[in-house]
Amino acid sequence: MGWKSFQKIKNKLQWKVGHVSFVQRVTAASKKNPSLEFWKLAPKTIYRTQNMSASTSEEVRETASSSSRGDGGDKPNTKEEEKKEDNLLECNICLDTAKDAVVSLCGHLFCWPCLHQWLETRPNRQVCPVCKAAISRDKVVPLYGRGSTKQEDPRDKVPPRPAGQRTEPEPGNNFSGFGFGDGGFHMSFGIGAFPFGFFTSTFNFGEPRPNVSPHGTPQYMEEQFLSKVFLWLAMLFIAWLLLA
Amino acid sequence: MANIAAQRIKREFKEVIRSEEVAKCAIKLDLVDNNYTELRGEIAGPPDTAYEGGNFVLEIKVPETYPFNPPKVRFITKIWHPNISSVTGAICLDILKDQWAAAMTLRTVLLSLQALLSAAEPDDPQDAVVARQYKENVEMFRLTARHWTNAYAGGPNANPECDEKIKRLVDMGIEEHQARVALSSYNWDLERATEQLFS
Repeated sequence: MGWKSFQKIKNKLQWKVGHVSFVQRVTAASKKNPSLEFWKLAPKTIYRTQNMSASTSEEVRETASSSSRGDGGDKPNTKEEEKKEDNLLECNICLDTAKDAVVSLCGHLFCWPCLHQWLETRPNRQVCPVCKAAISRDKVVPLYGRGSTKQEDPRDKVPPRPAGQRTEPEPGNNFSGFGFGDGGFHMSFGIGAFPFGFFTSTFNFGEPRPNVSPHGTPQYMEEQFLSKVFLWLAMLFIAWLLLA
Repeated sequence: MANIAAQRIKREFKEVIRSEEVAKCAIKLDLVDNNYTELRGEIAGPPDTAYEGGNFVLEIKVPETYPFNPPKVRFITKIWHPNISSVTGAICLDILKDQWAAAMTLRTVLLSLQALLSAAEPDDPQDAVVARQYKENVEMFRLTARHWTNAYAGGPNANPECDEKIKRLVDMGIEEHQARVALSSYNWDLERATEQLFS
């Protein structure tokens, strides 16, 4: 409608301009200067009317939208309208008023705990829950209201992640594949008379080597002491073998 | 149930009740139990489709991890659709699986399902028999879907020819639903359906 009216006005104006210009030209035949001025003016007037028609059509549009808004606005009372305004500050995940609010680069508001949980749920597909734009922890902006005294980044208040828990398997219950199974490869040498030496190597096939006890405990000291004693014994034995 | 899930379902429930789709009777949502873990949805068959005039009931189960994981939705009303199992009512829809987003709500899920009814995806089928029929003979698919809508969802478009064929099989001692499935699967070819049922 705006376009049509503009066309009409333009047509009329062009006709008028043409008409006037003809008259002007005739009159300007005697006075040359005004005609030149007229030709300078003409495009401006067209431009102005064009703007006017555009603005009028905008006005029409505005009045139309405001009237329709008025129709809708009659039904809900003011309380609901207030609620609607509150909705603007609701987290898109829990639908409650956003706490520790953060906003994504695509402009969507969340509670940080909610968004964090969402990102944790799908670590390999981190998308905005509203528009599915790519988001990440570093690409959200924390929001600070005036009332908030603590100016701390809500992202620092991540719900503490549960620490990894792993328990050692019970040793000795299952056959651990000749001691190779769990990465603890060990060899044992035995020197002695033939049938007994055989036993020393075969007899500890099944059981894995016991774990080293932690530093500082009395057990650790004892183990260190014992290993030294046996080292000396072995050296003495070898010396005796060589000398004998 | 985790607190966030229950609280969100409560809010969503109110949102659905207030929504304009409910006012237009396009969708409906009821509680099954009081702790908001199971709900019953209802969607109207979209106009200008084979499902027009039907009301389709859905079972909605809300997991504890909602809204971080999608609700489990299934058709209770039997329906003939390439992306919905005619046997179990299981739905093949990406947003109920890997494309779920936490900002989606029960209202958007119901509306998406309604959209699925008007735009089937035969290349990503849930029911292979229906999908094949949809690809090979769309007219036959529409006829069958309309008949199922009439039989199970209260649709207004009865097809006397289909009803007659089913009646003949029922007279032979076949259970009605079984007869309907056999006939639907064989493009309403009475001979082949009978053959399959008695083989």
